[in-house]
Amino acid sequence: MVTVTINGKLVRAKEGEMLLAVLRREKIDIPALCHHEAVEPYGACRLCMVEITRKEWDGWKNMVTSCLYPVADGLIIQTHTTDLIELRKTILDLYLARCPNTPEIQDLAAQYGVNQTSYEQVAEPNDCILCGLCTRICDRMGFSAISAVNRGHGREIAPPLKEAPPDCVGCLACALNCPTNYIKYTDIGQTREIWGRKFELLRDSRTGQPTIPKEFAEYLSKYRNIPQDYFEQNDESHRKETALGLGKIAVWSREESQ
Amino acid sequence: MIMVLQDIQREYRYLPCEALLQTAQALDVKLSKVFSVATFYNAFSLNPKGERVVRICVGTACHIRGAALIKEQIEHHLGIKAGQTTEDMKFSIEVVACVGACAMAPVVIVNDKYHGGVSVGNATRLVKD
Amino acid sequence: MTIATPRQLEQLAAEYKKTSDKHKKMVIVCCGTGCLANGAQKIVDAFEECLSHRKVKDFTVEAVKKTGCHGFCEQGPLVVIEPQGTFYTKVKSKDIESIIEKSIENDEVIEKFLFTNPKDGRKIEKYPDVPFFSHQHRIALRNLGKIAPFDIKEYIAVDGYKALAKVLTTMTPDQVIDEITKSELRGRGGGGFSAGKKWRTCRNVPSDVHYVICNGDEGDPGAFMDRSMMEGDPHSVLEGMMICAFAVGAKQGYIYVREEYPLAVIHLQKAIADCEKHGLLGDRILGTDFSFSIRIARGAGAFVCGESSALMRSVAGEVGEPRAKYIHSVIKGLYDQPTVLNNVETFVNVPVIINHGADWFRKIGVSKNSGTKVFSLVGKVRNTGLIEVAMGTTMREIIYDIGGGIIDGRPFKGVQTGGPSGGCLPESKLDLPVDFDSLTEAGSMMGSGGMIVMDDKTCMVDVARYFLQFLVSESCGKCVPCREGLYQLHKLTIKICEGNGTEVDIEKMEKLSQQIVVGSLCGLGKSGPNPLLSTIKYYRDEYLAHIRDKKCPAGVCRSLVTYRVIPELCTGCLACITACAYHAITGRKKEPHVINHDLCEKCGACVAVCKHDAIEVS
Repeated sequence: MVTVTINGKLVRAKEGEMLLAVLRREKIDIPALCHHEAVEPYGACRLCMVEITRKEWDGWKNMVTSCLYPVADGLIIQTHTTDLIELRKTILDLYLARCPNTPEIQDLAAQYGVNQTSYEQVAEPNDCILCGLCTRICDRMGFSAISAVNRGHGREIAPPLKEAPPDCVGCLACALNCPTNYIKYTDIGQTREIWGRKFELLRDSRTGQPTIPKEFAEYLSKYRNIPQDYFEQNDESHRKETALGLGKIAVWSREESQ
Repeated sequence: MIMVLQDIQREYRYLPCEALLQTAQALDVKLSKVFSVATFYNAFSLNPKGERVVRICVGTACHIRGAALIKEQIEHHLGIKAGQTTEDMKFSIEVVACVGACAMAPVVIVNDKYHGGVSVGNATRLVKD
Repeated sequence: MTIATPRQLEQLAAEYKKTSDKHKKMVIVCCGTGCLANGAQKIVDAFEECLSHRKVKDFTVEAVKKTGCHGFCEQGPLVVIEPQGTFYTKVKSKDIESIIEKSIENDEVIEKFLFTNPKDGRKIEKYPDVPFFSHQHRIALRNLGKIAPFDIKEYIAVDGYKALAKVLTTMTPDQVIDEITKSELRGRGGGGFSAGKKWRTCRNVPSDVHYVICNGDEGDPGAFMDRSMMEGDPHSVLEGMMICAFAVGAKQGYIYVREEYPLAVIHLQKAIADCEKHGLLGDRILGTDFSFSIRIARGAGAFVCGESSALMRSVAGEVGEPRAKYIHSVIKGLYDQPTVLNNVETFVNVPVIINHGADWFRKIGVSKNSGTKVFSLVGKVRNTGLIEVAMGTTMREIIYDIGGGIIDGRPFKGVQTGGPSGGCLPESKLDLPVDFDSLTEAGSMMGSGGMIVMDDKTCMVDVARYFLQFLVSESCGKCVPCREGLYQLHKLTIKICEGNGTEVDIEKMEKLSQQIVVGSLCGLGKSGPNPLLSTIKYYRDEYLAHIRDKKCPAGVCRSLVTYRVIPELCTGCLACITACAYHAITGRKKEPHVINHDLCEKCGACVAVCKHDAIEVS
């Protein structure tokens, strides 16, 4: 365990923990758009930046992204200095130039007093904030069906060759975790469509309710030793019953995958 | 993976979709990763290039010595913009950030042949049939 | 043929030195990129052709040597006759017959090829007397222009691999690091970090695997120092890497060469292959326990891959996205292993430091900036080319004494150093010494060594716009301040260049720049605003002229200038009419031409071809 000072208050933390986790635990409100507990921190949005110093640094300060900075004993942190507020304002202002009509961005920007962008808006705005969460989560799930394409300002998230992605199994992890609901999908009857690809959903053997795509179930049964018919059970209690009967299943945790 | 794609690019003068698929399979890498790499780096083109690729250096030294004008002249002469290929697939224009021949600015490279000291007078001669 | 022991290496060196007898006549043809583009290969071919049917006493085609870049690119193609050192400039392949007849068969000097000193009009015969060379202190460039880069024998003959042998047999890794640290060698890629400290930190990471990577990306437009070293003296790069590998405990090394340098790749590959053949790379080098191999990793056209963490990702076959370096790559770098990444020029300095000692190196240069630095001096300067001077030399000396001043005697406006991470400095700063620290204080930086000289016909607002355009196209796109911020800065400079800017825009750009500097993930973003900020700082008047007066004083920004033919000076030669791609000029032969402002695109083609200065740009 280590001790750090956050906004003047002494706080205990686990050695090597990322600063953002400690800040969140202390209920300090720091925006972090490209962050998700399930995947490695990325440091792309820069909103979680905080100011750090140490006694030995004689007043020299550094600004770091708290999502990627490991705590160490004696670290002194400030989270809401005027410089940091100014930085977050500018970043949100820039975000608004790219996503002027996205409610999540508008709300966050308004919290920092930015109601419209002071820069030039892009020609055809959409809701993608290029946080990369979808691609990182997809990698984490093991599919890597989509990725960041092109470089710089023209960067976008797309399936390979901008066609229906062959590696996608329709698990919806990307869409469900997108901070701005940019990734659209439809579930109509027995069919799910996402990223231009159609998937046939398995059915609950008793009620006929759709569950998950066949391809996803095949992957899970192959790599996770979960029998495919488990996914033909939409009823929660029915599933619980079956799960208990399956005995110990390999639980997917971050530690295990490293 | 990058070197494999470079070899393919050199051979076919672009990266055909088939090639991306095969690279992914052969190297046991996800197709999305191959596509990311293919679109990230300037060296790769997903569209076929012309027989003659005219690379105009727009590095600082060349810019100061009038590269923008040379680019404009060549673009105008061929009727296409940088990044495009002529209809008859004879010429493609590309801009390069710097080829390291700065003392010979402005520099234009036509299919690996370096031309230094290019001026308004001789720029279009480089792209004559 | 393996060189199994250091003693064998010594013997070979002595043997090769004897064969390249300095007293025998030799012709050196510069085959650096610039001279090659200007016909150097044709010159070599002409020598071979002539010598095939002409018997010359004591001289065969073997005595015609192709070397790397001499650096005096403006005067190429260059031919040097040794051992006299007669220096011929602007040679053409048709001149070879007479050169053989006069300068080789006899010892005559052909005046018309000699370099004329613009200061006094006198012709200079010998290569070391040419002011361009006499002002230089060539350490990193020591072998350039002297040895054939694809012949390992020539490298061995000039004490090649002697430092490696010394290190492997008489020094411990810690002693090597001590020596490099004592020499105060700082990273020549521009970062200026102590090489010794870097090596030591890497060595101290407990790991079975360490890597050494040579950064040959040289993305700064206007810079070609590393290129010349990789092409003209590849073995010195390898030797530097080998010594580093021994010091940090690495078994595998990589040279990352940018895609735009295919010749460098070929020369390095040949050097590596020759080393492997001679047992200088591979297992049990020179009979010791040290094993090391080097592979070449090619870039694929991304400036951001010059950044260390992006470079390592590129070596691993991924997109070149940098990562935050709270844990340095020296500790967790390539494949998460401790990695030393140093620039080409840094490695090239290592063998000399080992051979001559840290004290010798420290005596050159100035305090905290020991040694020399290679620069590519380009732009509107008379003697463009590659130079090397001791740290602490002033910019004035470089631009005027070595560079020969501005072309056509035009007024000096500024010099841009450090590439897109650096800034422009005006005349008032010309007496600043060039080193890692002095230029940074003034708002620029030395960077990797690109030095671009500008005259009064260069618009500094356009320069800022140009650099921002470059950075926007090269940004990896991961973080917001760089991807979005530099994009917006670029848009604002375009606005000003087009005459639609306001003074508020300048303030806006300054504020946004500050946030980009603070918020960006990597050096590209962090230093991206430098060209803009330095031009605003030193050339604010020019910005204001664009904004208040809607004028571009340098006559560059198209929306703000008008082209007009001065009828009194126009001879009616039709040159501009032919050159105009937009058919905006009309006129008959021998009659003054007229430019139609509605069609004129202000591209400048007419000005470029007019031999009578008859076109006015206002």
